[in-house]
Amino acid sequence: MGTLLSIRELTKSFGGQVVLAGVSLDVEEGEILVLLGPSGSGKTTLLRSIAGFERPDSGDLLLEGEEIADLAPAQRKFGMVFQHFALFPHLSVGRNVSFGLETRGLRSEERDERVREMLALVDLAGFEDRRVDEISGGQQQRVAVARALAPRPRLLLLDEPLSNLDPELRERTRRELKAAIRRVGISAVWVTHEQQEAFDVGDRVAVLSAGRLDQVGPPEELYLRPTSPFVARFVGRASFLPAVWGEASTAVVGDERFIGCGASWPADAAEAVDSGTAVTLLLRPEGLRLVPPESDGSLQGTVAERRYAGEITYYRVVLDVGPEVVVADAVTAATEGGKVGVAPRLGGPKPRAFRDGERPPPQEGLAEVVEEADE
Amino acid sequence: MSRGGSGAGGRPRRLPAFALVAVLSWLVGYPLLITLLEALGIPGGGTLQHWAEFVRRPDEWLALWRSLWISLASVVLAAAIGVPLAFIFERTDFPGRRLLGALVALPVALPPLVGVIAFLFLYGESGFVTRGLQALLGLHEAPWRLHGAGAILLVHAYSMYVYFYLFVRAGLARLDASMSEAAQILGAGRGRTFWRVTVPLLGPALGGAALLAFMTSLASFSAPYIFGGGFRVMTTQIVASKLNGQVAMAQVETVTLAVLALAGLWALLRFDRGRIAVVGGVRGLAPARRRLASRWARWGAGAAGWGLALVLLLPHLTLVVISFVPRATWTVELVPPAWDLSNYRELLTTPERLRPVLNSLWMAAAATAAAVALGLATARASLAHRGRLGRLLEMLVAVPWAVPGTVFAISLATAFSVDAPLAGRFVLVGTPWILPLAYLVRSLPLTGRGALAGLRQLDRSLEEAAASLGAGRWRTLVRVTVPMLRPALAAAASLAFITAMGDFVTSIVLYTYDTRPISIEILSSLRLQDTGIAAVYGVLLMVLSAAAFLLWGREERAG
Repeated sequence: MGTLLSIRELTKSFGGQVVLAGVSLDVEEGEILVLLGPSGSGKTTLLRSIAGFERPDSGDLLLEGEEIADLAPAQRKFGMVFQHFALFPHLSVGRNVSFGLETRGLRSEERDERVREMLALVDLAGFEDRRVDEISGGQQQRVAVARALAPRPRLLLLDEPLSNLDPELRERTRRELKAAIRRVGISAVWVTHEQQEAFDVGDRVAVLSAGRLDQVGPPEELYLRPTSPFVARFVGRASFLPAVWGEASTAVVGDERFIGCGASWPADAAEAVDSGTAVTLLLRPEGLRLVPPESDGSLQGTVAERRYAGEITYYRVVLDVGPEVVVADAVTAATEGGKVGVAPRLGGPKPRAFRDGERPPPQEGLAEVVEEADE
Repeated sequence: MSRGGSGAGGRPRRLPAFALVAVLSWLVGYPLLITLLEALGIPGGGTLQHWAEFVRRPDEWLALWRSLWISLASVVLAAAIGVPLAFIFERTDFPGRRLLGALVALPVALPPLVGVIAFLFLYGESGFVTRGLQALLGLHEAPWRLHGAGAILLVHAYSMYVYFYLFVRAGLARLDASMSEAAQILGAGRGRTFWRVTVPLLGPALGGAALLAFMTSLASFSAPYIFGGGFRVMTTQIVASKLNGQVAMAQVETVTLAVLALAGLWALLRFDRGRIAVVGGVRGLAPARRRLASRWARWGAGAAGWGLALVLLLPHLTLVVISFVPRATWTVELVPPAWDLSNYRELLTTPERLRPVLNSLWMAAAATAAAVALGLATARASLAHRGRLGRLLEMLVAVPWAVPGTVFAISLATAFSVDAPLAGRFVLVGTPWILPLAYLVRSLPLTGRGALAGLRQLDRSLEEAAASLGAGRWRTLVRVTVPMLRPALAAAASLAFITAMGDFVTSIVLYTYDTRPISIEILSSLRLQDTGIAAVYGVLLMVLSAAAFLLWGREERAG
């Protein structure tokens, strides 16, 4: 498995506004790479630059080592699934799928065969003669996928392929779409603003913000070892606490001389920090647990809100030292308004320290982040 | 069905709706029916004698044939101007694009007669361009004479390109950018993307514009009347028969033209339905206006845009210029030797000159007021009674739009020149009432469809809210519905008003000396070589049209 597409230092501005500020990224052979980011992060512009619809101001696009930045979209031989599907309303389902085959010099029987094969792949066998406005949104989406895959593109580009579907349909379609891509064995670049979707389909996820690549890696790496508070916040529920880096991979929260008002917790650091340095500590809800008040090595707090979410219950705890954290624990762990201690959970995601100066984004729930990112 | 009418409480009452059907039938359908019957000689026992004569006479066939081919050629020429213009203004950007883009749509609202005389002043034998060329080439005579089929086609192309321009621009604006992107990434080059994707997607816009241009051309009267001379099309043939006293022949010709026009309407309606099905499948974002990358391309687009717009607006400018040329001062010179406001002064100070303006004003105002009231009532009733009754009402207000003005003029002249109150016929021809009535009928489609569109957009829950707060039907109408509809009604009314102000085609059949409207006065000024005065009337209509059109355009965009 080698590198299929190398994106090198890509920049793009629209009317003085920088949309891509030097993005470098590789797409490996056979992988699904997800571009994840909020609205305005540049992910769509990056995808459109790969497709050839936007011309980057500078930088290189190397397909198997060959520069393609100057090629027209038609010459790149990529496939694309558009956000609104962009099915041709004046053509039947079959003619839509065969559109990209018609310039390939295939005999018409070969074309028909390929159309049948592609429609079967997306579970729409026999739909050739249907009008595209007679079929459901989910079926339209699958036709769009069949159409993009029919000419055997070298790379499949997907621009928020599920955002135009009803929410209840999205999760199933996402699994089917991933399965179809796997079956064909094609490399894909998939743009989304939804972390769930990104983690579900991506072999690797590239997080973009403000035209920069923040981090790229497998979902678990982004979740457990984010390189910035932004990434940490964007890929999952997170609480942040001010702390001081201590000896032997520990972080000191609050004042550890007073029980309940301070603690020294084992932690990872995103980058090398000297002891005594002020840091911001990322805490995942599953990396914390509730303990009896005043327990050793715990922080004292009050449960401000309790949200039952099935297998797990989330507790929003206002710490006596000031900030609040979200803790995942059993449904019986505490009641609203109760005094509790908060301690790290062994085996859970370790607290992760970021050097100060990298301010964490404002505290808000994941749901709000996702809503804001909705384009 | 009851949902529609339950807004202001209770089942929709059918009686007012039936009354409306009766009134509209009397205004719209009855005159046409009487004309048909008289053409068949029904009151006298029935005869096909006039039809046989119609079929025997070669000049009738010639007029019919000319009407058809002139209309088809007009469609082609109008498309040749309007479609490229739409692409330039929708797909490229250059300085002045927005203003010019609005200006080049203006001829659609301009009374046809005004366009015709503007052309006369520009390209006629003593027009600016003609004189200029004559002087430039040192010719003894004008290089061409503006008459016959060529002149008619020129005027038609010039005024009907707007349909293609507006429709294709709207189509392009609606076109999802990802459609052509999808074609490109599937390997289609520019040409293939254009022919296989863009053009088919613009099909409804092109077809709609073509049908509109065809029907407008079929009904066109001013250009064939002024420029046709011996070249008669159906509309001028009808008026000539009528003026020659061949009333029965005029009726037969009228029925023939009406049938042609109604066939066109039928085609348009069918087409409209098909279009809805196609457009329903399209979703997504409008394409970004392409900023042309190369400087040359931008200059080229800008030059083409400005150049075309200038050519298209030149006749209007000419009209303005001529209106400042005092009488009998401009004879052989290339440019007028003298300029002043004497024509305007004469119009304002001579009662005989002002009379047609006042006539047109009151007749147009009365007709518009009645048309708005009737249009609103019909729209409400047609929405309250969906199903057959509603469709009938909608059709009745739409018919005068499709039927050529000449047909209506002859029909009204036929129906309302007989005193038979029990049969719903009165002698109105020769009275001041016949022209406002004609204008009213011709304005109904504008106000009726305007009100219908406005009502369809109106959130029904607002009327329901008013009803829930205790407002009765009348109070809901006056306090909620009409105020909410005001912009839509104002826009439709202003278009109706200007159409009536500039009407020529029905006026020439139905006017009397005392009620002569502006258009008739323009014609007689031209005959008396009073070009300056004719131009002043033209400018007046032009300014009113522009104001009405801009108001309408703002409303269209807001809606």
